[in-house]
Amino acid sequence: MGIIPRFNKKLVSRIKELREEQKISQQELAKSVGVSRQTIYYLERGASNPSLTLSLDISKTLNKPIEEIFYFEPVIRDLVDNIKLGDIKEIADEIGIDYNKILKLSEIDDEQLSKMYTEEELTKISEALGEEFHKLFLKDEE
Amino acid sequence: MKNKEMVYEHFISKDFKKKILLKVSTVLIPIFTLLTLFFVVIAYEGFEMRDRGPPGRSPIEDIVGVPELLFWLILFVVIIPYLVIMIILSVSLSIYIRNYSFEVLENNIIIHHGVITKTKATIPFIQIQNINVVSGIFDRIFKLYTVKIETAARSRSGSSPALIKFNPEGHIPGLKEPNIIEDKINEMMKRLSHVPSKLEDKIFKPEELAFDNFISYILSKMHEGKELKTNIKELREKMNISSAQLAEKVGVPIQTITYLEEGRYNPSLSLAYKIANVLNCKVEDLFQLA
Repeated sequence: MGIIPRFNKKLVSRIKELREEQKISQQELAKSVGVSRQTIYYLERGASNPSLTLSLDISKTLNKPIEEIFYFEPVIRDLVDNIKLGDIKEIADEIGIDYNKILKLSEIDDEQLSKMYTEEELTKISEALGEEFHKLFLKDEE
Repeated sequence: MKNKEMVYEHFISKDFKKKILLKVSTVLIPIFTLLTLFFVVIAYEGFEMRDRGPPGRSPIEDIVGVPELLFWLILFVVIIPYLVIMIILSVSLSIYIRNYSFEVLENNIIIHHGVITKTKATIPFIQIQNINVVSGIFDRIFKLYTVKIETAARSRSGSSPALIKFNPEGHIPGLKEPNIIEDKINEMMKRLSHVPSKLEDKIFKPEELAFDNFISYILSKMHEGKELKTNIKELREKMNISSAQLAEKVGVPIQTITYLEEGRYNPSLSLAYKIANVLNCKVEDLFQLA
């Protein structure tokens, strides 16, 4: 009947962080998993989807489970985190939605999202952030 | 006129016409044979019944005898229609074959086809979801293959993968050597890749999942490199989910799941996560490097 909003998520990698922790250079990691350094660079920069065998190789080299290296994060998180607080206040006033409600979007999970926000509010927020609704959220039909 | 380099151009085999004619004949001949038998039975049965009945002859029988009537009936209702159908079909097939051509360009495949209305279909590689090489009973008689190029058309309402529909847009029938076009597409895909390294290292943007699946398909065809062990099938059966249901839930074609279960497919990480999510387990429980 109703529509349940869900975060649209993207794959995020912690390769850089883990690699630096273990003092491994990009070149070394690339060599041990048998790919070019550029591939590692693209992977670290995010917005990428490696093949499973490559991911498994990396997880073996870094000695961490795959879930700790790659995980999904709401697309909106980056967006909200990178806006200045003042700007968020301005946006909030403009669309008439509570300022905290926009900030909270970068912390909550799917369940809270569906409880706290209506589709209408989310559409307004995505428009105000300059993104299309379907890039930030997905809809589940009940 | 062409600003892009043409990589491969080809036409379909003339055997395609023979195949279709044979296929149509196998349907038409039994129907027309039955029709003929029907006329024969009606003609003779009807004749006998009238003999047994009260006297008085039917006007038609006065003019022509039963065998002669039967001959004309069969000629006009059976033989001529059959020949007409075959001739029309044969002519239009010849035109179809002459007009049909496809070319593999740098970024897309172009297919020209049509008998009366001519169509030019352009399929960008990025949209290709899957390539099926099909060979039916009649195809096999003439050693022909049909290559079906499926593209993913996203519905506008959302970006959920479950909404992706598969359209067999590129339909190339009557091919003698389907491997050539597959190889050519593969070759072009490599060039299209942003990362100039081995195909296996290729990384994908999330929105390029269709592209990713295609690469994985090619990879599975090449069947090289590391072996991936998987227990998707066991876990799936434990949870009582069919491969079709699983495919639908993660938004991929069933073949993808089949390839995965056979260990011939190196999926993208996000696909692996999606499957793990549906089967409620960790990626490492699902896949291991052999």
